[in-house]
Amino acid sequence: MGIGGLALSWLLDREGLLGKSVKKEHMAQAHNLLPKRPHHEPRAKAMISLFMQGGPSQIDLCDPKPMLDKWADKDIPVKVKYDDAAGASARVMPSFWRYSRHGQSGMDFSELLPGFGEIADELCLIRSMHTGVNNHGQSIHALNSGRIVSGRPSLGSWLTYGLGTESQNLPAYLVLRDPSGLPVEGTWNWSSGWLPGLYQGTVIRAREPRILNLDAPANLRGAGQRNYLDFLGTLNRTHSSSRPGELDLEARIASFELAARMQTSASDAMDFSAESEATKKLYGIDDDATRDYGTRCLIARRLVERGVRFVHVLGGNQSWDHHHGIKDSLPKACKKTDRPIAALVKDLKHLGLLDSTVVHWGGEMGRLPVVQNERNAGRDHNTYGFSMWLAGGGFRAGHIHGETDEWGHHAVKDVVNHYDYHATLLRLFGLNHDQFSYKRGGRVQSLIDGQPARMVDELLA
Amino acid sequence: MGNVFRQLFFCLLAAMHGLALGQAATLTFEADVRPILKAHCFHCHGEDGTAKGGLDVRLRKLLLKGGKHGPAIAPGEGEKSLLFEKVRDGEMPKEQAKLPAEQIDILLQWIEQGAKTARPEPDNPDDWITEEERSFWAFRPIQNPLVPGGAANPIDAFLLRRLKAKRLGFSTEAGKRTLIRRATFDLIGLPPTPAEIEAFLTDETPRAYDRLIERLLASPRYGERWGRHWLDVAGYADSEGYTESDAERGWAWRYRDYVVRAFNDDMPWDRFIREQLAGDEMIQPPYADLTPDQVDKLTATGFLRMAPDGTGSGANNAVAKNQVIAETLKIVSTSLMGMTVGCAQCHDHRYDPILHSDYYKLRAVFEPALDPANWRTPQSRQISLFTEADRKQCADIEAEAKKLDADRQAKVDFFINRTLEWKLRKAPEELREPLRAAYKTPAAKRTEEQKALLDNHPSVRQISPGSLYLYDREFNDEIAKLNAERKKVDAANAADKAEALKKIDGQIQYFRDSLTKVVLDAMTKKVADLRSTKPEEPFIRALTEQADKVPVTHLFFRGDPGQPRAAVKPADLSVVALDKNPIPQNDVARPSTGRRLALARRLTDGTHPLTARVLVNRFWLHHFSRGLVDTPGDFGKLGELPSHPELLDWLASHFMKNGWRLKRLHQLIMTSQAYRQISRRTPALDEVDPDNRLLGRTNVRRLEAETLRDSILFVSGQWNPRMFGKPVPVKEDEVGQIVVGVSTNDSSNRPTGKTISLGAEGFRRSLYVQVRRSKVLSFADVFDAPPMEPNCTKRTLSTVAPQALMLMNNDFVIDESRAMAGRFHRLARGRLDTQLGLAWETALGLVPSDDELAQSRAFVEKQAALFKNQKEKQPDLAALANYCQALFSSNAFIYVD
Repeated sequence: MGIGGLALSWLLDREGLLGKSVKKEHMAQAHNLLPKRPHHEPRAKAMISLFMQGGPSQIDLCDPKPMLDKWADKDIPVKVKYDDAAGASARVMPSFWRYSRHGQSGMDFSELLPGFGEIADELCLIRSMHTGVNNHGQSIHALNSGRIVSGRPSLGSWLTYGLGTESQNLPAYLVLRDPSGLPVEGTWNWSSGWLPGLYQGTVIRAREPRILNLDAPANLRGAGQRNYLDFLGTLNRTHSSSRPGELDLEARIASFELAARMQTSASDAMDFSAESEATKKLYGIDDDATRDYGTRCLIARRLVERGVRFVHVLGGNQSWDHHHGIKDSLPKACKKTDRPIAALVKDLKHLGLLDSTVVHWGGEMGRLPVVQNERNAGRDHNTYGFSMWLAGGGFRAGHIHGETDEWGHHAVKDVVNHYDYHATLLRLFGLNHDQFSYKRGGRVQSLIDGQPARMVDELLA
Repeated sequence: MGNVFRQLFFCLLAAMHGLALGQAATLTFEADVRPILKAHCFHCHGEDGTAKGGLDVRLRKLLLKGGKHGPAIAPGEGEKSLLFEKVRDGEMPKEQAKLPAEQIDILLQWIEQGAKTARPEPDNPDDWITEEERSFWAFRPIQNPLVPGGAANPIDAFLLRRLKAKRLGFSTEAGKRTLIRRATFDLIGLPPTPAEIEAFLTDETPRAYDRLIERLLASPRYGERWGRHWLDVAGYADSEGYTESDAERGWAWRYRDYVVRAFNDDMPWDRFIREQLAGDEMIQPPYADLTPDQVDKLTATGFLRMAPDGTGSGANNAVAKNQVIAETLKIVSTSLMGMTVGCAQCHDHRYDPILHSDYYKLRAVFEPALDPANWRTPQSRQISLFTEADRKQCADIEAEAKKLDADRQAKVDFFINRTLEWKLRKAPEELREPLRAAYKTPAAKRTEEQKALLDNHPSVRQISPGSLYLYDREFNDEIAKLNAERKKVDAANAADKAEALKKIDGQIQYFRDSLTKVVLDAMTKKVADLRSTKPEEPFIRALTEQADKVPVTHLFFRGDPGQPRAAVKPADLSVVALDKNPIPQNDVARPSTGRRLALARRLTDGTHPLTARVLVNRFWLHHFSRGLVDTPGDFGKLGELPSHPELLDWLASHFMKNGWRLKRLHQLIMTSQAYRQISRRTPALDEVDPDNRLLGRTNVRRLEAETLRDSILFVSGQWNPRMFGKPVPVKEDEVGQIVVGVSTNDSSNRPTGKTISLGAEGFRRSLYVQVRRSKVLSFADVFDAPPMEPNCTKRTLSTVAPQALMLMNNDFVIDESRAMAGRFHRLARGRLDTQLGLAWETALGLVPSDDELAQSRAFVEKQAALFKNQKEKQPDLAALANYCQALFSSNAFIYVD
C-alpha cells in the first residue's frame, strides 16, 4: 500500500482534498524505501552534501571584499553582530590570501582553493545565505532540518521518505563520518526525527569496518551464512504461511534478503580495487593530507552510482570554526578538502552523473570581517551573510547569486534563507515544498514548516 | 471550485451535520468559521494586540467593524466581502500557502447565509473559549455508559456492538500455547518457559487461565515490564542531555526503582500520580533523616526531573533553564493530560482551546520548584539520604583516619630526619651543623649563606616527603649486596650456614623495613582502606521548592522569555478547570506553595475529563498494540478520535471506581474474549476493517527492543534476574557500537586496551541498562528504542536491513547463541533431537513438528560438516549455536500472536 497510499495522499493534497481526512493518511503509514514518484518530473535524483561544520570564512575563500583592505586595522564604522562579545573587536581584518577569478564565469576564489577554481564553471555560488541564528547547533538544524530546534528529521531523511531509493541493495541514506569525530549536534545530523527510523541515515564509519555488523562471524562467511539464511527462510515461510496478509512478516523476510545483498554491495561500494590509479590520484588518495577526505568523496561517488539517494559527507567537530589562529588553521582545512571536492565534481561530470546529482558545499555559517582574539587572530560567527555552493542536479552552473554588504557581514541582495534553499532544492527533486508533508499525530509536518519560503528561480539552470 | 464539486461538498457537509440532503446546513461563526480564522489569521489579526491593517478577526462583530480597508464581511454578500476576496486570491494568509478550497468555501457560504453566530458574542475576544470548543469529546465529563447486553465482559459487550453493526464478530479463541505466550510477554516481557507451558497445558480446570494471569501479575517481572511503559512517557534517562557532554545522572535510577515497585505493589494510580507530581509537598522539610515512606515520596518527584537539563553541565543560561521548564511541562501534559500544551507557549493553541495564558498558568504551578530567578542545577537539587547515624559513622571513621594520618606524618618526619643525618654524615664534619640548621630553616627564611650552602649539597637540600623514595636506592643497594652474600654463603655449605643465613636474612629484613616507600605506601593504603569503609553518601533526584521563594510567573510575549508580559496565577487548563478546587497561590497551611499538590488532586479527583481517559487508553495500547485513541499523547483536535468512545469512558470510570488499580484492569482486559482471540486475518475482516480498529481479531505484534534483548538473554540461560540499583554501564566498543560494558578509554577517549569485566551484571534486563541519551545501546537503537526527547508517548516500529544485520552478525547475538547452544548441549549430551527440540520450545513456546525437527537436524548436520571442514574445534556445538541464532532471528521468536 506504500507507494499507492503515499501517491494518493499527495494527489489529494494537491487537489486540496485531504483536509480533515485522517483515514486516508493512515493508508500512507506503511513505510518502505521503494522508489516513489514525486509531484513532477525531477531534475535531480541524488545528493551529496559536503558539510563543512564550523563555518568556513567566506571572506577568505569566496566572497572578496576590497573594502576590508582599505580599512585594514581601523575600527569598522558599522555595527557588527558578534556571537562572542568577550573576544569581540571592531578592528577590520582583511583576508590574508589573494583572490583570483576562475573559468569563463570569472568566479572568485582565494588561493586557498585552487581546486574550486578548476570547477568554477560547474558551481552555483550563493553569497547571500542567511539563517540569522548565531550559534552552531541552531544554524545546523536550520540548514539540515528546516528549523532551528533539534528533534526534526534531517534533509536526507525527508528526501528518502519522499523518494525512496533507486538501490535496493544499499541503504537509501548514508553518512560518511570524519575520523576525528562527529560534528556539533552529533547523531542529530542524520536523524530521522519523528519520521520513521527507516529514513534515518546509516553511518559509514571512518575506518574499517565501515558499516557495522556487515561481516559474518569468521566461521559463517560464505556457505555457512547462506545455509543459515536458507534455514531461516524456511522457518519464516512456514510461519508466514499460517499468517496470511501480515505484511510486516513479509517485510522482515525481505529485510534479511536485503541485508544479505548489502553485505556484497556495500563491500563492493567500498572496494576501490577497480578504480584506476589516475582516479585515486585525482581524489588525492595518494597524499596523506587528502587521503581520508578523498577516500570518502570517492565512496560518495560510488554510492551515488549505485542508486543511493543521499550521501552526507561530514566534517569533523568544528573543523571550520576559526575563532583564532585562522592564518594556520584555515589553509589546513582547505588543503584537506579542496582537491578531493574538485575531483568529485569533475569525476561526476565525466561519468555523466552530475546532471542528476546535486553536490552541496557549505557550513552552517560564515565569519565576520573583524578580528577576534587579537593575540592569535581569528573570526567570529556570521550567520547573517555567508556563502555556499551547489553543483549539478539542475542548479545553474557558473553562476554567482546574491551579495553581502561591502564588509561581507550582512546578505543584502537576493538573500537566500535556509527555507528558500530547501524549497528550491525540493523542486529539483520533483517535490513541491508546500505539499510535501508528513502527518504526525494528526499534525501535518513539513520540511519548510510554514516558513515563508521563496522558490529561488535564479538558482536553476 | 467547480459547481458540481461544490454541490457534492455541501452534500457531504449536510451529511456531517446530520441533515437530510437538500437541506442546507446553517454555518456559524463559532462552529465553522472561527476554527479556520484561528488557525490561519489570528496571529496577525487579533492576537497579542496585533491587528494588521487595523483588523481584528476574532469576533463576527469585529469582522463587521473591519479595519482601514473597511468591513471585512458584508453579510449575505459573500463574493463582495473583503475576507473572501483576500483568501480566494491567495493574498491572505500572507506568505503562507493558500487556504484549502473547502475552507474558502465555508467562509463564503457563511457570509452568504448572513454570517450567523450561534449565540451572542462576548465583548472581549481575549481568552474566549467557545461552547463548541468546550464540548469537544475529550473535555466533556467522563460518562459511565450503560453496558450493552450480549456478553459477560463489558469490554466484549462494547466491542461486539460495533462489530455486529458491521455484521462481524470475534474470531475464535486462541490455543493455550498462544495464550500463555501472549499473556507472558504482555505482563512480564519474557517468554514462558517450557515448564510453565506444560503446567498451563495440563491444568484443565476452568480457572487455569485466570490463575495464569494471577501468577503473572504477582511476578516481580511485571513491574519491570510495565514500569518500562511508564518510563517511556516519563522520559526516563540516566543522563542530562542538552549539552554535548550529556552528563551522567547518578541517581535517576531510584525513580526507576520507585516506578517498578509501584507497579508491583499495584499502587493506586491516583496516589501514584500525586506522589510523582507533589510527593515533596506531602512531607515536611527539612528533608533529613527520612523515613522510607518519605524517601519514596521524594523519589517519586523524579518524574519532574526527567527532562533534559544542561544547566549543571555547561549550559547554565536562561535558554537552557527555560528549556527544562518547557520540556517538563511537555512531559506532564502529554503523559497525564493528553494535550500538546507546548503550542500555547507562543500563542493560543491553533486548534485546541488551550490559551496562551493557560500555558503560563500551568507553568506557574511548577515555577516555585523550577524557578528561573533562583535556579538550582541538578547537582544542587540533590537530597542526601544520609541519616545522623550515617554522618556520625563517617565522622568516627574520619577521626580514626586522621590518627593514622598523624602516625604516617610522624613516620615521614622520622624518615626525613634519618635521611638527613645519614647524608650529613657524608658531609665534612665542620659543615654538618650549619647544613642541618640550613635545612631545618624554612626556605623563605634562609640566609643567602644558608641557600648557597644547600645549593652546594643538593642531596641534602632535596630531601622532602615527596622525594624520600629516591633515597631508598642506598637501602636497595645494601639489600642487593646482602642477597649476593647470602647466595655465596648458601653455596659454600659451611657448618654454621644456617646461622649465617639467619643473620643475613635479619639484615635484609632490617633494610626492607627501612625502605621508606614500602613503609609509607603501606601506611597510605591502610588509611585509604579505612576511609573506604565510610558508607557512600546516597542521594535522591527530586523536585522541591525553596522556602520563602514564591516567584511571579509572567506570560511571555510570543514565547520569548526576554519579553515578559502580565503576571499570571497558577491554574489548570481553563477548558477543564473547575472553580471549586482552585490552585492556591501559596497555601499557608504548608511550607511549600501547594500548587503542584492542588493540580495533582485536581487531576485525580475523579471528575477531570482527561486523566483517567488518557491512562486507560495507554493501558489498552499495551495490550492491543494500539490505543482506543490512536494518538495517546494528543487527545486534542489534531489527535485521533476514539474508535470506541463509550468503551473508553466506561473503562475510565470503571478504573476510577475500582480504586485506580491497574492490576484489576489487566484482569478485566485479559480475560475478555477480545483479548483471547486468534490473530489470523480473514478476507472478510480485512475487507471491512483492514486496520483492525474494531478488534475482530488480535494483532500480531513485534517484540519491542528491550523485550527482544531480554528474551534472547532469557532463553540463552545467561539472564541475570537481579532487580533494582545502579544502572549497568554502557560504552562504545572498538567498532563504534554502544554495548554494555565499562569504558576503559582515557580522558581523551582513546582506547587503553584494558578491559574491566562486568560479569553477570552485563546480563541484566534492558530496563537496568544505563539510558545515556548520547549512547543508546546499539541493539536497542536498531530495534527502535525511542530517544527520550524529552519523552515518548507512542513507540514506532521499523523493519529494516540493519536489524537483520544485527541478528546475523552482531557479537551480542552470536555470544548468546553460543551460550544457548552450550546450555542444551550440556543438558542433553549426545542427543541431538532433544537438544533441537528443547531449544525450539524454549525460544518459540512450541514443540517442533516432525518435519520441522527433520529440517532442523538436516541444517545442523550440514553446518557441523561445514565447520568440521573448516577445522572448527567443536563443530557440533558451533552448528547448534548457529541453529539457536536462527531461532533468535526467526519471525516466530520476534513476533507474538
